[in-house]
Amino acid sequence: MDTVVDILLLAFLAVCAIAILRLRDLFAMAMMFGLFSLITAGLFTTMDAPDVAFTEAAVGAGISTILMLATLAQTARREQPVTGRSKLLPLLVVWVTGAVLIYGTVDLPAFGDPSAPVHTHVAPYYLQQSTADIGIPNVVASILASYRGYDTLGEVVVVFAAVVGVLALLGLRARPPRVVRRPVRRLDQHAVLKVIAKLVVPVILLFALYVQFHGEYSPGGGFQAGVIFAAAIILFALVFGLDEARQVIPPRVLQRLPAAGVLIFGGTGLLTMLLGGNYLDYDMLRESPQKAQQMGIIMVEIGVGVTVASVMLLIYFTFAERGRHRRPDGNGDDGPGGAAE
Amino acid sequence: MTAFFWGLATFLLVNAFACLWRAWRGPTVVDRILATNVVNSKALVVLVLLGLAFERSLLLDVALVYGLLNFGITIAASRFLETGRIRGSWQS
Repeated sequence: MDTVVDILLLAFLAVCAIAILRLRDLFAMAMMFGLFSLITAGLFTTMDAPDVAFTEAAVGAGISTILMLATLAQTARREQPVTGRSKLLPLLVVWVTGAVLIYGTVDLPAFGDPSAPVHTHVAPYYLQQSTADIGIPNVVASILASYRGYDTLGEVVVVFAAVVGVLALLGLRARPPRVVRRPVRRLDQHAVLKVIAKLVVPVILLFALYVQFHGEYSPGGGFQAGVIFAAAIILFALVFGLDEARQVIPPRVLQRLPAAGVLIFGGTGLLTMLLGGNYLDYDMLRESPQKAQQMGIIMVEIGVGVTVASVMLLIYFTFAERGRHRRPDGNGDDGPGGAAE
Repeated sequence: MTAFFWGLATFLLVNAFACLWRAWRGPTVVDRILATNVVNSKALVVLVLLGLAFERSLLLDVALVYGLLNFGITIAASRFLETGRIRGSWQS
């Protein structure tokens, strides 16, 4: 049965990819990318990698679809076909690259082969020593935050660099936009939506906190929790408006949070150095090394969560804010019937 | 019982291809949004079934993410559909 489900999932992915290639309607493409991520997460699950599936579900299917739609709102709805150019050379390059890649897979060890290089290097050490060294059930969390702490610090800095890039290109102002305090609007429009959103948003926030602080025991951690937290705020902003969302997190604070998260992560490393250990070597934080490791992991994960959540929010707010005072140009293909092939 | 769960998951995935066709061919935007929504719900159920088949309750957490974020995607897509933009209040 396992094989049948795997084949179905992979076939779904293949059809999805071909559909994305063939489509010219960018809105439909965004939705198809969401589908692709959803099914990829299912594939990760059948490979018994719930942490990766978690990330794919939260980032790929959740946030990136919303961000793609936000991008679409800034650009056109349809892709312009490139004409008057020879397609032979690109086709040749693609075919040759594909052939080389497929040839490369011939030498790869079989999936799940216990003698594959990746299973004989440091992985057995992590799996055997994690319980004694750190004592948390989720080995992924202990590898991510403790054994490979440097790598994770690098990832967080990459996320931080991404938001610096987005802000530099799109919307860094000398002064962040002010919070407009207005009396709360009555539920005059979309009452059902607003009531449901009010019910759902606190649950999502709570779930994000659970993912953040339960990450040592179940799949999850700072990256996933940050994305889910940001998704809740984005949902609130979508339903109630940008100004109302600003009252929840003022832009002045939000712009400083990505750096604060990286500082929490890096500061933990400096703290361990000051206490006489190596950088990001948590053993010095408490008397018992196990407790110290767990404390260090929690501190580092908080840094990751703060950075990821604020980066996602900043990117969304920057995109949504852009062109706010511009009138829509009213080309009429936004209507429900305007999406024919 | 495990075979039953696998069979149910297979059935749902085969059905999902119909939704995929709808999301690909359209013809209206509402079709695409609905198709995505339905596949999302299907994937959620398939994850729960896989969790039961593997006897790993951890997969329920992943299924929860699907359930909670699906709402956000649908709202974002329908807001984009209605106003052509993805921000602000509905009145603007």
